[in-house]
Amino acid sequence: MAAPMLVLDDVRKVYTRGRVIRRPTFTLQANLSLDEPGIVGVVGPNGAGKTTLFEMMTGSNAPTSGRVLVAGTDIHGVKYRERDRLAIHYHQSYQVRRFRKRIPSAFLTPSPTKMPLVHLFDEPQFNLQDGYIGFMLDFFRKLRDEGRLVILCMHPTAAWHLDILADIAERFLFVAGGGVAQIADFRGLVAEPSFRTYLGPEMTRAADALCQGSVAGKFDA
Amino acid sequence: MSMLEAAGVHVRFGDRVVLESVDLAVADGEFHGVMGPNGAGKTTFFNVLTGRVKPSRGKVRLGGEDVTGLSPHRIAAKGIARSFQIMTLFDEFSARDNVMMGLPEFRARGLDFVHAVAGDRRFAEQASEALAAVGLVEKGDVRAKDLSYGDRRALEIAVALAQAPRVLCLDEPTSGLGSDGVQRLAALIARLKGKLTIVAIEHDMEFLFSLADRISVIHWGQVVARGTPHELQRNDWVRRSNLGKFA
Repeated sequence: MAAPMLVLDDVRKVYTRGRVIRRPTFTLQANLSLDEPGIVGVVGPNGAGKTTLFEMMTGSNAPTSGRVLVAGTDIHGVKYRERDRLAIHYHQSYQVRRFRKRIPSAFLTPSPTKMPLVHLFDEPQFNLQDGYIGFMLDFFRKLRDEGRLVILCMHPTAAWHLDILADIAERFLFVAGGGVAQIADFRGLVAEPSFRTYLGPEMTRAADALCQGSVAGKFDA
Repeated sequence: MSMLEAAGVHVRFGDRVVLESVDLAVADGEFHGVMGPNGAGKTTFFNVLTGRVKPSRGKVRLGGEDVTGLSPHRIAAKGIARSFQIMTLFDEFSARDNVMMGLPEFRARGLDFVHAVAGDRRFAEQASEALAAVGLVEKGDVRAKDLSYGDRRALEIAVALAQAPRVLCLDEPTSGLGSDGVQRLAALIARLKGKLTIVAIEHDMEFLFSLADRISVIHWGQVVARGTPHELQRNDWVRRSNLGKFA
């Protein structure tokens, strides 16, 4: 059987403060496996560690412990210039290739693939008026249909942001409280008490309406 | 065979990838629109087509000939003319003089400007033709800085047309134009359409969707969608947006 698309194997990132006595200021732990191509929605409050998670997945921020495996290869052991052949980080309108170079590239292994397998979109700028959403969502589906794993980070601040998440994402990662929870579908995400707290009352009502309303048919099918 | 073709164009600025494997094939006489959010890489793509940016990978072909990495003036000489997002005219010169300086024969004279301007009626006639094409023939003697904004935009296109290009690249031609200016420009493009291969970056969707044969949507340095205006408008989210009203 082929290796899973993306595995975070007991990954732990600790940011510390102080040179002599190191006090942890931030900790993020993740242990998850995304086996198949698909579209995964990532949500969570500001400062929860979504960007750190993305950076670890794309090989630009090394975990304190644990491994990130893309199609079975530890991305942090791959030559810096070739990491984008495994996972790509899209920030707003461009792609970021920024790597903290701890080990000379000569000591690292080449990428086993030519084309990126994991595509991470970090809070793409959706705007209801300009129509690009449609093209962006179709692009995510195209990547998935070509056998890629699409990871879409969103910070829902309007009801239609939830509409997009419900429409496009097949699975979810909820980043909060120093951990990453894997959730099977939109309904499961909305049922999560900490997600409801994060959304606030108004957005929670919109999310409930989405689960009960016309879109619900999609999940019942 | 395509008149203008880009294959696998890749551009990287430091740790940012601005273009990744961008392909484009524009047929002879096609009007091809390029749209995308700010910072998506549209102007960089134009800069690759016109030789201002050398791609780290990929090819640009004009009429089947590889022109990748040639200097801007060599590419212009081969037949790609462009207008810019920010206008580039000689303000103190008349509209006609601006156009004359775009004429290939005029440029071939190098620094022998005095003879070129004073001696040869042919240049003035050719310049007048280009001015007529954009509806500026009566304003040929007006200094560029005294022209209205819309006329200056039209003059830029006349300068590009004076080069007798095979491909005309327009970078946001409607930017800064009022609605009547946009209408005039649309009428001009409609006249040129079919005679000239045109590639235009444009934010004015009504303009693009009503005139373009095909449109490429660039985002994250890639072509995320491509098709005729009709094909692009089939998307539900597009129909819900402002783009939907041009269906």
